[in-house]
Amino acid sequence: MTSRTRYFVIASFLVLLIGLGTGLVAYYVGFPTSAFFAGDGPDELQFVPPDATLVAFANVREIMTSDVRERARRALPRLPDGQEQFRNETGINVETDIDRVVACLSRSTDGGRGAAFVLARGRFDAVRIESLMRDHGASAGDYRGVRLITAAEASAHPGGLSLAFLEPGLVGVGSTALVRGAIDLKNGGKSVTTNDEMMKLIRSLDAGNAWAVGRFDALASQARLPSGLAAQLLPITWFAASAHVNGGLTGVLRAEMRDEASANNLRDVVRGFLALAKLQAGSRPDLQTLVQSLDLGGTGTTVALSFSLPVEMFDLLGAAVGQGILRSR
Amino acid sequence: MMTAPRANRPAALASAIRIFDLSLGQMLWSRRSVFLAFLVGGPVLLAAAIRLATILEPLFVHAVRSSQIGGVTLFGIMIWLLYVHVIVPVLGVFYGTALIADEVDDKTITYLFTRPIPRSAVLIGKYLSYLTCTILLVLPSVIAVYFLIVPINGGSVGRSFPLLLADLGVLAAGLMAYGAVFALVGARLKRPLVIGLVFAFGWEPGVLLVPGYLKRATVAYYLQALVPHKMPVDSTTISVLTRMFDRFPSIATSLAWLAAITVIALWWASRTVEVREYVLEQ
Repeated sequence: MTSRTRYFVIASFLVLLIGLGTGLVAYYVGFPTSAFFAGDGPDELQFVPPDATLVAFANVREIMTSDVRERARRALPRLPDGQEQFRNETGINVETDIDRVVACLSRSTDGGRGAAFVLARGRFDAVRIESLMRDHGASAGDYRGVRLITAAEASAHPGGLSLAFLEPGLVGVGSTALVRGAIDLKNGGKSVTTNDEMMKLIRSLDAGNAWAVGRFDALASQARLPSGLAAQLLPITWFAASAHVNGGLTGVLRAEMRDEASANNLRDVVRGFLALAKLQAGSRPDLQTLVQSLDLGGTGTTVALSFSLPVEMFDLLGAAVGQGILRSR
Repeated sequence: MMTAPRANRPAALASAIRIFDLSLGQMLWSRRSVFLAFLVGGPVLLAAAIRLATILEPLFVHAVRSSQIGGVTLFGIMIWLLYVHVIVPVLGVFYGTALIADEVDDKTITYLFTRPIPRSAVLIGKYLSYLTCTILLVLPSVIAVYFLIVPINGGSVGRSFPLLLADLGVLAAGLMAYGAVFALVGARLKRPLVIGLVFAFGWEPGVLLVPGYLKRATVAYYLQALVPHKMPVDSTTISVLTRMFDRFPSIATSLAWLAAITVIALWWASRTVEVREYVLEQ
């Protein structure tokens, strides 16, 4: 065997050994994918309680600077929004100061009632926010070394509304119990990242700049749906939605069903609706792109409906809305 | 006529190892290796391109995720379509048929057959060098593809590691079986490359689509039964293709048949080499 051949054999064996060794360590130690690659969701998830029934994420900066947002602003007439008022009250400019937002719903606090919690990362004027909240009757105190501002008891939020700066540039707002829980999680503990079912879905949606994942049964019970409708929807265990806003709008809505039979039934129902929509859109060229982009998929217990809208579609929608407004005048 | 004393004649195994040592370098650094490098490098480049696209182009990764195809499934599709159906049979055909046929074409077989070694040791040694050469190229390529593709869409390299081991085993078994079958073709028939290509890409895929027992006369039938990946079930072309092969024998049966095919084909090829008079064209 020549030395060239020997080197080749050694190199191949090394690649095999390193690959198999790494895989073996990953298999036994169970280190997550993120040990090599990104894909475990935003860092803010470490502050979300493990029993959250809904987790949502939006990359505000990406969405605000996207061409879709630009086209939508140009095409649609200016709608009254609370952005200016919100900036005056808190000093936060949603378009420039907030980078991303993570929101969650949890049932574990407030006697089983749903409680909401929002984490926003960006650039905030802590002093101004605190003084504005104090002006509205809020009280401030320390909880485990973190400044906790609690709104007046008269707040409409069940269990009280609180705000805390968990890290520089990261503010948590929501139910007092959840904000306190987030401060506890700052020092370690089980967060939603230990919830395998939820994280599996989050990982699968992480590429979108806006997504939401939730347990459908928990949300349906909170929504107080009519009993007949609830019975029809019950086979859905998890739902997930993801969208990527930029260079058009692509997205997917996904439902995890309890069994394959339910998934097949739901697929049949959605297929029927899609056929009807395609039939209806035949005489509406402006809607054809939207309807044609709808694609039903999913395997096993998963039912998925994906869509993809080119950015030009927003010009068409804008024109259609504009015509509607003119007609109504 | 004087014959060499039997005691001085090296054992078949030692002879085969000597031939293996000699052939491995020749096989690795031949012109055919360029083709081999392209063949096993192609999937790695493809995997790297997909991985890069998911990093650099968020729309692409979102499209991948929307399609519900995870990294593990994508890896399974690559193993199924690229390695099991293309690379392994191609390597078997090109290298297996050449084990003896190349020596005949180059008129160098006389030099090997005039050595004081069993003729069958020439074939076995060359077969072992084919196996080493292809395994050392194909398996690292699969490992590279695995680490590039599996993490896409939240796949875990740890959880799916048993699948990688199974895939490596399947590919090694495929290389063994195809190599032995095509070594037999190369030892017995003239123009073995043409016949081998017709067998691998005409007979095998064709027969697999025909209902009945004829598919049992293929290597692919038993090899596909060992592939651990479950293909996505929908209306795509890939899914339709994979459903064509959805009735497989059990793993034990497949392994037994692959082992039997390998041993019988190698034994038959060795017997052929032992008794056949190769006429070198002038």
